[in-house]
Amino acid sequence: MIAYAANLATLVAIFCILAATLNFIIGFAGIFSVAHAVFFGLGAYAGAQVALLLVPDALLACIVAAIVAGGLSLCLALPALRVRGEYFVAASLGLQMMATTLFAEAKAFTGGIGGLVAIPRPTLFGIEVGVLPLALVALALILFLTARLQHGAFGRSLQSIRDAESAAEALGKNVAAAKTLAVAFACAGAGIGGALFALHLSFVNVESFTMDQSVLIMAMVIIGGTGTLWGPVIGAIILLALPSGLAFLPFIPATEVGAVQQIIYGLAMTLLMVFRPAGLVGDLSKGRATA
Amino acid sequence: MTEVLRTESLARAFGGLQAVAGVSLSLHAGQVTALVGPNGAGKTTTFNLITGNLRADSGAAQIRGRPIMGMKPWQVARLGVARSFQDLRLFTHMTVRENVLAATETASWFWQPGGTRARAQRQQRADAAMEATGLTALADARAVDLAYAERKFLSMARILAAEADIWLLDEPASGLDLASRLRFGQLLKDAQARGVAICLIEHNLDVVVELSNRIAFLDQGKVLAEGDPETILRDPALAAIYFGDRPQEAA
Repeated sequence: MIAYAANLATLVAIFCILAATLNFIIGFAGIFSVAHAVFFGLGAYAGAQVALLLVPDALLACIVAAIVAGGLSLCLALPALRVRGEYFVAASLGLQMMATTLFAEAKAFTGGIGGLVAIPRPTLFGIEVGVLPLALVALALILFLTARLQHGAFGRSLQSIRDAESAAEALGKNVAAAKTLAVAFACAGAGIGGALFALHLSFVNVESFTMDQSVLIMAMVIIGGTGTLWGPVIGAIILLALPSGLAFLPFIPATEVGAVQQIIYGLAMTLLMVFRPAGLVGDLSKGRATA
Repeated sequence: MTEVLRTESLARAFGGLQAVAGVSLSLHAGQVTALVGPNGAGKTTTFNLITGNLRADSGAAQIRGRPIMGMKPWQVARLGVARSFQDLRLFTHMTVRENVLAATETASWFWQPGGTRARAQRQQRADAAMEATGLTALADARAVDLAYAERKFLSMARILAAEADIWLLDEPASGLDLASRLRFGQLLKDAQARGVAICLIEHNLDVVVELSNRIAFLDQGKVLAEGDPETILRDPALAAIYFGDRPQEAA
């Protein structure tokens, strides 16, 4: 039971990182990406390769994962600079589909469909450590940086671009540079989440980095509240704890838990969009139509 | 007076429509120039060509002798050009203070240069801009919650805080009541006294007469006449065009 709870807590912490970093580009920069799982995957594969080929040092794995995911985030930033709104959603969807195929085919880096197995237990400066404390520290660091950036000049730049891009540009803001930096920061964070995920499970394959995963992360952000610090964390906790909670309800047959879970997800999303369109933590007036 | 901005034969077509057909203008420090003309004359398009929001098909523009054609809007802005939009384009979900502060922060990196001293100076600029536009009491209100006139003044506060010395204002006084219009006029006069070059698109001819030193009359993408307000506004041919009583061309 303790091992189950520790496993769940670790996954929740990792998904909180993913939701918080996706929220940074959705909530503050207005970039609606449905490709966050791509950078989660890149980080996972990069971290796993570091552990398999070099040393299973968690810090090194996270740094390499952040660099790989942050660097390759240009794949997302470039379309973000050219298209907006639903056009960007479509572009990021294309990126997600392409990356899923590449993850399945690039056997040298990803192990193909079978994935990478037997990833060694993580260490920190030679001492074996659990992933949960590492994930909590990484989450705390990402939330701290997000809060600092959100309330500083960079956060204001992103929010001004989100609200009125042409006006922000007319005030001297280099929109392309700001968006690129925001996407790099968010994707590097997703990469760290990926490295921790690989080290935690000791196994990764393409199934964890599909479109479904991107949609799940986006649902966490929307349910919690876009543009808020704690909303994505709340969203991640709810969406990961819910299926676990349902599994313990005696009146739901084990074979039906998946279906009930889908119904509850759908119902929760619908009710939320009707009654709290800005999410559980979000500013209620933000989601309403305004003059 | 020092010439700060010059355009030469700016032209831009949209498909078969020649929106701007060779506009040559010059703006001078401490002078208010009004662009006047009927709807569709090419006034806002001229602004968009100057600020880099649109690419010109031909022609040139310079700021203090420096060519600006091909520059991006943020690059033109950093040369000291600030503009307002007809639809205001406020940062609606940010507070008044955040809107104005954002106008003082142009660096694109994760932080602004200059440390705490520069930050204090930016804060002072924002405070001064809110004070000048009467928005200090509304500093913590969100832009989306402001009344129309307050939104207009927030748009002006951003321009003030940006400390630009060339202002391009697109119908800044439209929809303002008399008291607000007088406050707006005083803002412009103060800026003019500081040497700001102002170019104003305005349909309210009372505002034009009261505030401008020169008028450029545009029609069908061309500057038909340029001169002092009295001369231009008394020209019966221009008045006929402005009020839609355009002389019919001979068949």
